Formats: sequence, C-alpha cells, structure tokens
Amino acid sequence: MIRTTRRTALSMFAATAIGLVTAAGLSTAAQAADAIKIGILSLTSHSPSIIAEGKGYFTEQDLAVEFVSFQAAQPMAVAIASGDIDFGMTAISGGLISLAEKGAVRIIGGALQETPEISGQKILASKAAYDAGLTSPDKLAGRTYGVTTAGSSFHYMAHKIADKSGFDRSEIKITPMQKVPAVIAALKSGQIDAWSIVPNIAGALTKGPEVVEIGKVSDYIDNYQVTTVFTSTKNVTENRDLVTRFLAGLSKGIADYNAALVDKTMSADEVAEITGMVHKYVYADQPIEKAGPRIAAGAMRINAGAQLNIASIEDQLAWFQSEKLAPEGVTMADLVDTSFVETY
Amino acid sequence: MSLDATNELGAQPRRNVSELQQSGKIKPVPFRGGGFVHSRHRFIAPILFVVLVILWEIGSQTGFISNIALPAPSEAAGAMSDLFETGMIWNHLSASLYRLVVGWSLGSLIGVFVGLAIALFSLVRAGVSPFISALFPIPKIALLPLFIIWFGIGEGSKVATILFGVFFPTVIATYGGVDNVDRNLIRMGQSFGLSWISIVRKIIIPGALPAILSGFRISASIAIILLVAAEMIGAEFGIGAYILMAGALFATDQLIAGVAMLSVLGLTVGWLISRAEHMLLSWRA
Repeated sequence: MIRTTRRTALSMFAATAIGLVTAAGLSTAAQAADAIKIGILSLTSHSPSIIAEGKGYFTEQDLAVEFVSFQAAQPMAVAIASGDIDFGMTAISGGLISLAEKGAVRIIGGALQETPEISGQKILASKAAYDAGLTSPDKLAGRTYGVTTAGSSFHYMAHKIADKSGFDRSEIKITPMQKVPAVIAALKSGQIDAWSIVPNIAGALTKGPEVVEIGKVSDYIDNYQVTTVFTSTKNVTENRDLVTRFLAGLSKGIADYNAALVDKTMSADEVAEITGMVHKYVYADQPIEKAGPRIAAGAMRINAGAQLNIASIEDQLAWFQSEKLAPEGVTMADLVDTSFVETY
Repeated sequence: MSLDATNELGAQPRRNVSELQQSGKIKPVPFRGGGFVHSRHRFIAPILFVVLVILWEIGSQTGFISNIALPAPSEAAGAMSDLFETGMIWNHLSASLYRLVVGWSLGSLIGVFVGLAIALFSLVRAGVSPFISALFPIPKIALLPLFIIWFGIGEGSKVATILFGVFFPTVIATYGGVDNVDRNLIRMGQSFGLSWISIVRKIIIPGALPAILSGFRISASIAIILLVAAEMIGAEFGIGAYILMAGALFATDQLIAGVAMLSVLGLTVGWLISRAEHMLLSWRA
C-alpha cells in the first residue's frame, strides 16, 4: 500500500505546480508574424470583416487576419489601447472617447447606421409596463430604462428619446445591468420597463408574451451612426498604409454584406455562402438552419466604403460631454481621423 | 533507583558550577526570553505610503508611467475632491454602507448561530456541514442572475449577495473556533458539575471568540470585495457602482478614487474589529 506522508504530499503538490507553470509558459509561444487582429462581437453587424476574410478580400490586401472575440464594446476599445488588437468596430462608448482623449484610439470610419428605409433598432417595453400604460416611447418619463453601462449606446438612445419627446432626461431612470443577457432577463421578468436593441434580438424577444415593441429608434434619432470602425492612434500616424489596406478589404466585405442581406440583390446560393461564413462566428452554437434566418433578420445597412456620418458623431460627443460621461476637453480631432473615408 | 541516588547525582553539578564561577571560567547566562515580540512603529506605514505616492506622482509627471496605464495620484485626488464638492460622496457612501452593514450583520449573525449549532450538536454537524462545504466555493457573483430573479434588482439582491458571501466563512470560523476550545477547560467545567448551558456560555463561547473575531476580519473584507459585484446590477449610487461606471467610461482617475474609498472602508472596518477584539478578549491578557 502506498502511504502518503506529509513530505511526499508536499513534494507532489510542488511538482504539480511547477508543471502547470511551465505548461502555461510554453503555450504562449508561437505567433504568426505578419498578422492584424480584428476585434469582433458575436453580432451580425460584425459580418463585413468575417465576409472579407472568408472571401479573401484581406488576403488580396496582403493582410493575415486573426479574429478576437469580445463580449462587449468597452473591452474592445481598451484592447486597442493596450495593443492586443489592431482594429475594432463597435458603438461609440464613453470609454472609447476617454481613450481617444488619452491619445490611444481614433475613429477611422463608419459602419452600422440607422436609415429610415431599413428596419432598425427597436424600442421595447415589458408586458407589465405596457399594460400599465407604456404604449409609446414618449410615455417613458418616470420609467426605468435598461442599459448595459453608463455611457453605452443604450444610455444615449434613452436620452435622445427624452429630448425628442420633450421631457427631462433625468425623468428616465437609467438602470445599468452590465450585460445584454442581464438586461433581457430583467425586461422579461418586468424588473425594468423599457430597452432598445437591434432588430434580430428585438424580433426574438417580441415573439414571446413578455415583451412588446413600442417604437423605433430611427424616429427619435436622425441618421444615427450606431457603430464606427476604429484603430490605435499609432496605426493612424505610423501605419497609414496598413489602415488604408484594411479599409479597402473591409469595404468589399461591406458591399457583399449589403448586397446579400440588406438589399437582397444576390442569388440564393451566394447568400447561403455568406450566411455560412458569418455563422462560424455568429450564433455558432445553433445549427445553420436555425441561425440562417436569425442572421438575415438582423441585417441593418452598413455604410458603403465605411463612410462616416460626422454630424451624428458630433451629436454623440456633445451628449457624452453634456452628461459628464466624457472629459470636457475632447475635440472631434482627438476622436476622429477623417482622412481615410468619405464623410458627410 | 533510590531517591538518595538522584539527590547525589543532582547535587554534583551544582557544586561544580559555584566552583567554576568563583574561578571566573564561566560567564553568567543572559536572559534569552523575549524576541519575537512586535514592537510598535507608529509612523512607518504612513511614511512608506507617502513616499510611494510621491514616487508615483513623479513617475506620472515625467511620463515614466503612461497616463493610460495609471493616472497620477493628483488626478485621482481631483476626482475625489469633485465627489466631495458635488456632495455625491454621501450618496455613494450611504448606499454602500447600508448594503454592507445590513448584509454583513445578518450574514454574521446567522453564520455564528449555524456555526455554533454545527459545533454543539452532532446531528446538525452531520447534516449541515457537507452543505456548507459544497456551497462555500460557489462564487456568489455567478449566482447574481438568480438573486435578481429571487430578490429583485432593488436592495434585496445586493444585500443577499453580501449576506451569502459573509455567511459561509463565518460558519466555518465559528465551528472551527469551538472545535479548538481547550478540552481540559470543558472537562474541568464538567468535573465541577456545571450545567451544559453554563459550559457553553462561560467556556465554549469565550474560548471560540478569538477565532470568531478573526473570522469577522476575513468576512468583513469579503463583504467589501462583494460590494462591487453586488452593485453591478441596477445600482444608481454606491461605491461599487461608481467604480464600475468609471471602468465603463475608462475614467481611471475616478476608478482609483473609488478603489481608495474601498481601502479606507477596509481600514476602518479593520480598526473597528481591533477595538472589538480589545474589548471582548481582554480576559486573555
């Protein structure tokens, strides 16, 4: 019989610990040399980069792309600042502006945009609140409104609704829930009254009995530039060629995405091919039969050639500063580099 | 061996010693007790703290420490003074203190009761202690979504997160403390015919108190750690909510100011428990 004394137990423990440490050290080695890293969220709005990679548009530009998945917009901006990824594409957050002020990141192009002719982000209410009279967004005064964090796009949308409806911003009770699933849980169980979200998630929610659609974001914000493309200030100043090549590849991906899923001018086979590519990263936990329609349902227009709506960015920056969610000293020049894409 | 013989042997070296001392061949042995006793150095910690902060400020001003990596202490102090100027600090502090005090007190109270029950009644120990071991390692943060459904996004889920975080270490500290009470003292009480309740009240609880109080020290720190997690959901005010908002906005000066508030809270709680130890454990001296 093997006897474990205190001494042998200790030495076994030490050996295991050393083994683990060495294993961890070894696994971090070996990285591709000439690669760019793109941060993505598992949302359909990130499809253009995925399509550009799948169709070889980045390879045409001599770029070896690696995708890095994120759970929220905010960490993606921080990862650009820390140099862990090169390009990102998300909504403008307070964190992004703060990092731009510190000279770490720059917006270089536009992506997802609200347009009147395409079904965009929806404003939702919980069934309980709807029954209690919250039947349209202008009745949101005195109601709780779910956001992920302070200074997120949801926060901006809530206040824009208040502005347009003519009641004070402070009358909407902003309730931070940190993550989208937590907001969904709170909305379904009626613990918050309202929320706004992209159409594919909104569609899935309003199918159930707990959530009711009460309006559209595009009725309250004109030509809202929802997401932007951004990179590090270092890339903007020192690697202009790399940024240009990335945007060229991305633009082709955007064109395919709009043609396949928004304008629906592509053949069914081509659409299926593109949906297949996107499915590798979006709704990857569901079979393609289920995921395909959900990917198609979530399609909102992405600006061709990554054009940037400067007026919308200015409005968003002004809102962040008026709510003291961004430092007062930030200028548009700190935040945006308009030399890469067309702006309007 | 007879007693006489031992005396003979014992007397032998003593005579030699006195002879040796007289002849000066032996040195007197100095007192070797003492040592391993802490002497008080009141000013070391504040001086070290000030020196570190000054070095940090110099590093930030010269650009050795990047502004993205860490804000200068003066910026953090600015964020802190903003809090005082706007009066927001009282909103944050009162919200957090309420959650801490209610969560920690209830968790400790229930924890001490359950811990004593486990320690004193074998039936409870057999039934409950496996559950304690099974539930203790569950991160309370992981249960937060469930807490929201159970207790709502109001104060309930926040207090519950802290309560559960405090409960388990308190139970373990309490029954561990009781288990370590000197058995001889208990047996002495039994020999003197003390009743069961007297033994518990006069021997077991005072004997376990040092362990329970050091358990409080740990559980109070856990409560402060969990404060940030508790205020993740639907909190408008609170130090944790302030820190999370600063993180989301990447306002690192506010982040450091918030973390400094947590540290001050930790120091205060540590000092309060030291006072409690001083009062409750004065019999040890």
